[in-house]
Amino acid sequence: MANGGDAPRNRPQPIHGGSVGEADLPLTPDVAWGGRAKPSASPLVEGVRRLRRSSTALIGAAIVLVLLVVAIFADVLAPRSPIASDQTHTFERPSWDYPLGTDQLGRDMLSRIIHGTRISLLVGVSSVLLALFVGVPFGMIAGFYGGRVDSLIMRAMDLILAFPIYLLAIILMVIFTPTAGLIGTMKVTGAIAIVRIPIYARLVRGSVLSIKEKEYIEASRALGVRDPWILVRHVLPNCLAPIIVTTTLGIATSIIVEATLSFLGLGTQPPTPSWGWDLKANVAFIQANLWLSLFPGLAIFVTVLGFNLFGDGLRDALDPRLK
Amino acid sequence: MRTYILRRLLQIVPTVLMITFVVFVMMRSVPGDPVVALLGDAYTEEDAIKARDEYGLNKPIVVQYGIWLAKLVRGDWGVSILTGRPVLQDVLIRLPVTLELIVLSMAVALIIAVPAAIIGALRQNTWADYMATSVAMIGVSIPEFFIGILLLLVFSIGLGGFLPSSGWIYLPGTCPTLVCGASLWGNAQHVLMPAIALGVGRAAILTRLLRASMLEVIRSEYVTTARAKGLSERPVVFKHALKNALIPTVTVMGLQIGFLIGGAIVVETLFAMPGLGTFGIDAIIARDYQQVQGFALLTALAFVIMNLAVDLTYTFLDPRIRYA
Repeated sequence: MANGGDAPRNRPQPIHGGSVGEADLPLTPDVAWGGRAKPSASPLVEGVRRLRRSSTALIGAAIVLVLLVVAIFADVLAPRSPIASDQTHTFERPSWDYPLGTDQLGRDMLSRIIHGTRISLLVGVSSVLLALFVGVPFGMIAGFYGGRVDSLIMRAMDLILAFPIYLLAIILMVIFTPTAGLIGTMKVTGAIAIVRIPIYARLVRGSVLSIKEKEYIEASRALGVRDPWILVRHVLPNCLAPIIVTTTLGIATSIIVEATLSFLGLGTQPPTPSWGWDLKANVAFIQANLWLSLFPGLAIFVTVLGFNLFGDGLRDALDPRLK
Repeated sequence: MRTYILRRLLQIVPTVLMITFVVFVMMRSVPGDPVVALLGDAYTEEDAIKARDEYGLNKPIVVQYGIWLAKLVRGDWGVSILTGRPVLQDVLIRLPVTLELIVLSMAVALIIAVPAAIIGALRQNTWADYMATSVAMIGVSIPEFFIGILLLLVFSIGLGGFLPSSGWIYLPGTCPTLVCGASLWGNAQHVLMPAIALGVGRAAILTRLLRASMLEVIRSEYVTTARAKGLSERPVVFKHALKNALIPTVTVMGLQIGFLIGGAIVVETLFAMPGLGTFGIDAIIARDYQQVQGFALLTALAFVIMNLAVDLTYTFLDPRIRYA
């Protein structure tokens, strides 16, 4: 709302100039004449309304939705098994039988990419959620109580942040020793989650620092509400907007980190289909079979783009201050 | 100012110690024994004990770290268990390759991002702006290795081997041995695609940030004042607006160094470059403790020094920021 440039043209524009505070005041003709003022919607409803007006966010949401459907129904959608090799049909060019061709083991690329959606989304979403579930409570406690608890938690977070993230993720994966299957996926998820915990802790701590000074927190304290209840019921909802935005954009980053780890051979191991691994495995044959590297790469790109578009739209809709 | 720099330089020491110590401990918790890798499958237990003794691997971890540190202070980075070569020597050979890659990729990023952001901000909501923002959006969504593969497809395969897909020709003066290829043109051919692959993602992030802060700055009062006093557009944009808009951008550039190191590992692997990235990943996978320590030390140093450089850049961009 505050940034005049992104406001729709048909609405009255805020006045620029004057003090900074004034410049940010939107013109709301409805308010000046009482009675016409609509009951103010909750920030969430208002956010969803703004989100629906953003075409990029809708495109992003559509991409994410399609990917979710593909991931859930991978078994039905994939024409063949993603791991069954067929020595009589290696390096097939894209055709009716094999829309995206086959790799050096004769595995159907389309089926591998469809099943790869699962790994990418699973690791992307669950690593961020895991980081969230650890980082948010730490951030809330650090910000709310301050003092020694705060410095203890934040020093631990700084320790992780002091590392270049890939160095830490790579070493963690070497310690976990990459494997195939669900366990392998969980290892990758864990490694990515660990390097991303401090991001949420810092973010939430920052929000909490300002929220805890608000009158309504003081009021609930005066009423004798216990701290855990204040944190969950009053503090958390008020720092939700930046958390949601960072989470969505974080999924995009996590998917890239997963693909990168797999590309380096340290992510999910074969035969579990993974886009990053397929890209790595097929680079060797790029000269004659360029589609083999092209399609997994495109899949990663479209997925990350979807989450980025959606996250950007969310940011504009939910939290205009984050820009 | 001088005391500030001195104090910050002193702060580097604990950070680097901490990073290298954590890496030290983490590497030793990696399953497997480098001595076994060194001796091969047909080793006897006696040989293994002897080798462990030789490399000091049977001492407590903290003592081992102390020994490593004590040697480091004397300029000894240790000797690789697997190759028997001094780590410092290997690192120094590989450093110029990665430095060249990172510097050039940052240059690529700036060359793309600064004009794109300025056009985007000055012509907000025109087709030029939409172009700049959409391309930036695409740029942040492509992983480095996929850009690299696309470049390979176009320039190495599509254009009949116009640019080499692997191998390396050193910059004159950085050649590690007497018999290695070194020429300016050959080096340029080899470094161009990796630098673009690494730079494009950075360019996209910078464009988005710089455009947003330019939009904010361009509406501020001092820019209006500068225009009102009759300055032409060029000094208004470059001297008044851009310089101030660069402050948040520089911060993020500094934070990007962590991603750049990861990106360098990926891009060097893809293009088979003999840089620090491939050195580091090979060392970590082979559990070559000494090499990993060297890599971690250098990475940590690069990381903290870059962050210091970022803080010092602020005083240049905004003279109101002073460090006492």
